[in-house]
Amino acid sequence: MTWVTWQQYRSQAVFAAALLAALAVVLLITGLHAAAVWHSALAHCATGHSCASLAGSNLSLGSPIIASLVVATSAVPALPGLLWGAPTVASELETGTNQFAWTQSTTKLRWLAVRAGWLLLAAAVLAGAVSAIVTWWSGPYNALTADAFQVNRFDVTGIVPVGYAIFAMALGICAGTLLRRTLPALGITLAGFAAVRALTALWLRLHYMAPVTAYYKLTAPFTPPGSYLLVRNGFVSPDGKPAALDYAVPNYNGLPLPAACLHAMQHNPNPQTALSCLAAHGYQGSVTYQPASRFWAFQGIETGIFLLLAAALIGIAFWVLRRRDA
Amino acid sequence: MTAVIETSGLTKRYRRVTALSDCTISVPGGRISALVGPNGAGKTTLLRLLAGLAAPTAGQAVVLGGEPRQDPAYLAEIGFLAQEAPLYRRRTAEDHIGIGAHLNPRWDGESVRARLSRVRIPLDRPAGALSGGQRAQVALALTLAKQPGLLLLDEPLAALDPLARQRFLGALAEAAAVQGEGEAGGGLTVVLSSHLIADIERVCDHLILLAGSRVQLCGDIQTLLEEHRILTGPRKDTTVIARTHAIVREDTTARQTTLLVRLNGPVIDPAWAVDEANLEEIVLGYMSQNDPDYSTDREGTRLSAVGGDR
Repeated sequence: MTWVTWQQYRSQAVFAAALLAALAVVLLITGLHAAAVWHSALAHCATGHSCASLAGSNLSLGSPIIASLVVATSAVPALPGLLWGAPTVASELETGTNQFAWTQSTTKLRWLAVRAGWLLLAAAVLAGAVSAIVTWWSGPYNALTADAFQVNRFDVTGIVPVGYAIFAMALGICAGTLLRRTLPALGITLAGFAAVRALTALWLRLHYMAPVTAYYKLTAPFTPPGSYLLVRNGFVSPDGKPAALDYAVPNYNGLPLPAACLHAMQHNPNPQTALSCLAAHGYQGSVTYQPASRFWAFQGIETGIFLLLAAALIGIAFWVLRRRDA
Repeated sequence: MTAVIETSGLTKRYRRVTALSDCTISVPGGRISALVGPNGAGKTTLLRLLAGLAAPTAGQAVVLGGEPRQDPAYLAEIGFLAQEAPLYRRRTAEDHIGIGAHLNPRWDGESVRARLSRVRIPLDRPAGALSGGQRAQVALALTLAKQPGLLLLDEPLAALDPLARQRFLGALAEAAAVQGEGEAGGGLTVVLSSHLIADIERVCDHLILLAGSRVQLCGDIQTLLEEHRILTGPRKDTTVIARTHAIVREDTTARQTTLLVRLNGPVIDPAWAVDEANLEEIVLGYMSQNDPDYSTDREGTRLSAVGGDR
């Protein structure tokens, strides 16, 4: 069965390996360049004791096109699930070849077990390889801009891409088994993957652990150290009530802010004036965030969530295949 | 020889449609059985149930001493050829031989190569590039390579030209004969569905007739031929005949009545001319019983229908 699986996916595997190699070459060249720029900038700033302002400087580590390409690798984990996972059962059912495959001396469940096993492994290896290259490539960028915990960086580095890829593959296999047709299965896989990814990245991830809240004087702005994950910014009124508020947006509805300050906020384009006013009335700034030190814990939690979802989907696929006529 | 296939009350329902109802048949070992019936009669459903690809809604089947199921030992004994002979379009015959070799404990890949070279079908061409008939040949050769005890073939002749059909049936008869000579009791039993009655008559010695999802006939072809007669006589009341014999089909024109009857003793009334019925007449007779359009097809024709429920 392993031989049969390999025979059927041989050309796709070669194609994927070629694409991976091409991506690796591009990222190796640009990554080495970025590292060189970063190290020379560090050496340069060390002589002038100006390394603290390096992040604010407009130091360019390389082409923004390559940076966009790296962000685009967040699509990589979905590809094996779409291209190999969705058709694996569906195309057999569509062409009727399942009647050939499942009347050899191998049961359909064993057929699926071996095939799904290798496909899941292939997806994990592919996403893991891309993530390893991207993680290495991102080193100087993270050092410069401390964005390791940001959505576009967190999602393409570390171990989460492996979890995403296994989830996408399981979703593809499950959708194909349920729907029995390749194209609808492709659509469901794409939509399901995008929806779950967006939901976790933009909402669920903020809540994996109880966030930390820091209070600060509005006249002396505070930024958490390192590449933290921002949950929300806000104010705290003099009586200690938290007032969630984005002070870049002039929308203070329902907030017990002093009338004088509201007036200042609405009419003075300089936010500093409003902040001074609020500070004078006893308001404090608050920032709620997930500290940079939780990066790997969050990577582990998110990977675990996607692996659990994948296990459930694979279970459904087996259950459906077992119960339903071939 | 004992029965290789024995079903009782086998029924398969899909949501609203009953594909097969109350199917009770018995096929003795070593036979080549023809499964005939109009489109949608349940032939494919029956074959799929026997192959273990589908599970029955009710009733049971005993095939080769066990229930059809997804089980390596059972599947190894079954050679199933699905309708339209599905093969992997991008894979060559040689690739398929490899797949079979890896999935079956018993596999005669050499026999496939020999069979295909005899009919000049290239082993290295993707199945999608072969003609429908060639694909059917490849699929049959692959099915035979499993060396199964029971072959279940769903319309294997449909895609073949007359010459290829002849070869195909020849190969089938040959395989049955060769395996029949093999180890004691290891004879090959075949069930093949087809619409081509002339072809069936050449190789089959057993008949299963499905119509309206029900079994109309099941038995030895020779016996069925002996049991059925065509009676022709002046137009008259048929109740006397019906008292002794079973009237399968009645065609009445202005002056003449033609009956297909299943005999239950000799026909005594000298008004009837008694002729032997051929297989086609018998098959059509039973099939028309279940055809609701039949009575309107020809003017002046009345259908003596004991029609089955759909």
